Amino acid sequence: MSEARVEQQRPASGAVLLVLVGLGIAFALLVALLAAAKAHTGPIYGEANMLYAALVLYTGAATLYMGYGVTGIERYVNAASLLTTLGFVANTAAVAHRWSVAGRPPFSNMYEMLLSFVWTLALLTLIAERAYKVKIIGSITMPITVVSVILMQLLPSDVRPLVPALQSTWLQVHVTLAMLSYAACAVSFALAMMFLIQDGMKTEAFQAITATGMVAVYAGMLLTRFRSGNLAVTAYDMDAKQEVMISRGHPLFIQIPDLGWLYLLVFLSAVVPLILYIVAQVKKDRSFFDIASKGMFVTILLQVMGLAIFVARVKNGRYGAPEAEGLFATAMPANPFLLSGIVGGIVAGLLYLLLLWRREGLQKMMPSADKLDTVTYKIICIAFPLLTLMIAAGAYWANQAWGSYWSWDPKETWAAITWLVYAGYLHMRITRGWKGRRAAWFAILGFAVVIFTFFGVTYLLPGLHAYAAG
Amino acid sequence: MGLKSIWTKIYQTLSSVRTGIFLIIVVGVFSAIGTVILQRPTSEPGDMQRAYSPETLALLDRIGLTDIFHAWWFLVLLCMFCTCLIFVSVDRWPNAWKVYAHPVRFATAPFRASLPQSVKIPVKDGANALSVAERILGRCGFNAERVTESGATGLFAEKQRFAVFAVYLVHLSLICIFAGYIVDGIIGYRGTIQVPEGQALGQITLRDNRGGESKKDLPFLIRCDGAGEETYADGSPKKWWSKLALIENGKESIAKTIVVNDPFVFKGIRIYQASMGQSSTPKTLIFEATPAKGGSPEKVEVPLNGKAALADGESLSVLRWIPDYYVQDGEVYKKSDDPENPAVQLGLTNAAGETKKLWILYSQANTTKGQEAAYEFSLKGATWLKYTGLEVSHQPGQFGIWIGVVLMAFGLVIAFYTQHSRVWATVIDDGKGGQLLWTGGTTNKNRDRFQAKFEQIKAALQEELGGAVVANKNSENTLTKA
Repeated sequence: MSEARVEQQRPASGAVLLVLVGLGIAFALLVALLAAAKAHTGPIYGEANMLYAALVLYTGAATLYMGYGVTGIERYVNAASLLTTLGFVANTAAVAHRWSVAGRPPFSNMYEMLLSFVWTLALLTLIAERAYKVKIIGSITMPITVVSVILMQLLPSDVRPLVPALQSTWLQVHVTLAMLSYAACAVSFALAMMFLIQDGMKTEAFQAITATGMVAVYAGMLLTRFRSGNLAVTAYDMDAKQEVMISRGHPLFIQIPDLGWLYLLVFLSAVVPLILYIVAQVKKDRSFFDIASKGMFVTILLQVMGLAIFVARVKNGRYGAPEAEGLFATAMPANPFLLSGIVGGIVAGLLYLLLLWRREGLQKMMPSADKLDTVTYKIICIAFPLLTLMIAAGAYWANQAWGSYWSWDPKETWAAITWLVYAGYLHMRITRGWKGRRAAWFAILGFAVVIFTFFGVTYLLPGLHAYAAG
Repeated sequence: MGLKSIWTKIYQTLSSVRTGIFLIIVVGVFSAIGTVILQRPTSEPGDMQRAYSPETLALLDRIGLTDIFHAWWFLVLLCMFCTCLIFVSVDRWPNAWKVYAHPVRFATAPFRASLPQSVKIPVKDGANALSVAERILGRCGFNAERVTESGATGLFAEKQRFAVFAVYLVHLSLICIFAGYIVDGIIGYRGTIQVPEGQALGQITLRDNRGGESKKDLPFLIRCDGAGEETYADGSPKKWWSKLALIENGKESIAKTIVVNDPFVFKGIRIYQASMGQSSTPKTLIFEATPAKGGSPEKVEVPLNGKAALADGESLSVLRWIPDYYVQDGEVYKKSDDPENPAVQLGLTNAAGETKKLWILYSQANTTKGQEAAYEFSLKGATWLKYTGLEVSHQPGQFGIWIGVVLMAFGLVIAFYTQHSRVWATVIDDGKGGQLLWTGGTTNKNRDRFQAKFEQIKAALQEELGGAVVANKNSENTLTKA
């Protein structure tokens, strides 16, 4: 059966090779990044080693899911599922070990939140596979998991005792709910994307979406970090193992020369396919789509190059800062959001290429569009009550700790906006009977708002204010 | 045009779902703007001046975009949304109540035709068929009751009729939450107060909309009997605590030690531990005393309002403390409250009770040398009074919020995890002298699973009663003769 399926696909050995080479490059970069990662000391069942094991297993699973996407061989997805399960077990051991060492569940800093997020995402992937029989979902959720674990390897992970405001059970409840609901939203996003593929949305439209995502990432990066051709990154003190601060809450920014220009170039290279898409739509001329496709290759290659140069410059340089005398070093742990944006853009590009070259095969492997639409709805029915309870628990905790249940803090406000968007999805579906494409777009919008709430509020908004108006 | 038609128009607009969606989008957009533009209540004035040029900042202030969430028009928008929600729910409630209070128990002919799932099976004995159906429905989880209408008997079974209220419960809870917030917006307040150790104060500072401040008197005084901080090994704060007592009409009413996350709640007013610091009021002053007749200097610590004992029955007290002094016309005056350049007037009381007044002027010569006294004093240091930083809030509407949250939890559970399913059965004439057992059903969600269940019922009926199924335009599968 699987052999017959393989035969039906176009013989595309060149394309397969290219994809595997791309994956190989990504993996090599991974290993290079990990050279900057933590030393794996401690017992074999300890957190550091178990997390590393989980990383390796999840990376293997992600590659096999992608491989399944490329070749359609059942063995790949079964092996991927097995690796995901093993990775999940290792992940659980890491969580358990950290919990027992710290004496409390892991919810109090970025490292710990990512640990919980990754655990939940793996769990939901397995549930979607087993309960809803959507096997290919791993090809989207596992790369997200891998990116998150890489990010974690670069964040400070010492178990720090909690400052007074964080010593509260309601905090644990709030963060658990946040991680569960965001993971469910991520899964619904993956399902909505798969629906659009299965529903026959044109590949060019996916190209436009991917290009838009890349443009957003690099625009955000340039808006907050571009300084006359240099890229501003946070300075890092290697001995103290923390960021260099000028004053409380204000880290010191150093400037890496020319990296700003490079990322401007990358930004423009991502804008080009988007513009070409618009031109093609306006002029109704399909030839522009082909040029746009080539533009996508170019931007993905440039992004990989950008990542490699970034890693090289970060590891070997000391740079000046406008606000302090002398030269400072930086390190990977100092710029987690920057890195995750860059890696995320590359992963999105690779997924787009997978779609471009193997669309028919993918469509045969996925459940029907109708089924995907229904499962998206069901997952949002899980995500929405969790979101509601998360906001409520957060309000109760704020009331106990800070004197008010709602201060219109940007994080709170955007969480409420996220809630409204998903309420809108449910409303449109239940009362207006919106199904299919419109529902899928709504689900994708919801996840975009989740991403903004999680990353944009912490990272983009303060960045906008810190250096605005000269 | 009359009042009635105006009212009808208003009613139609307010009870339209589109109006509600429009209003909530407007609220969402302004909320988003309020996160991108710095807001005065949550930003330091310095940060705002650094982020925007003076002209931009003045413009933003004037339009009201620097304090969107406390602006009157924002509150009005929320009120309008609330009103719309009430109208929408009230408009649709009679229907829901009808479904709940007056369910259709008997499936008459027009009703039968409208159902999505139904099947007709020819039978010989109608009464027996009905009993069989009753049994099968019971087996499938639908406990049917017998209903009679105009001489005919039928079956009616339903599950979870209350599920129709789910939406109303969710909307009611939302209204509760908004109402609570609006109440707090109108009569609630939040402010801060710093109470140094040993003092009792009762006036809080409220942060104003325009970045200014206003004061409000509390109905009681807060006295700080002690405050402290514990830190971890690396210096980061572990615990801040304050021992507080509330004084009403001069008498202590109630006392509690508070920490962060454990506020003091009294008469609807909540007092939170927000910060801690050192004030610039000394608790004790530390002097070095050298006996005039010779001897080694010793350290004396004098509480600001007390005495310290010296040898020979003598004691030292502080008569005047001036943190920052200047001298004019032979008198010592206070320049500022910053303890930059202190002057201290000491009182040295001997065993007989006579007090000699001595001056120490810190920047001139930190000594009482030259002033005849049993000892020579110089100021060596001080310990400072702590102050406790408290946040005080009165938000009675919060009960609306918490009640609303609980209601919403129930509402969502009912909305997502219960469904209202109904099944009917009755015996009808087939128009050719024979009888048909008609069975039909409907549900308000999870239609695919209900359809599968209905297929089960169909199959069981078919098995027991035999006979071909009369083709029904609504049902997808038609069973062939068994």
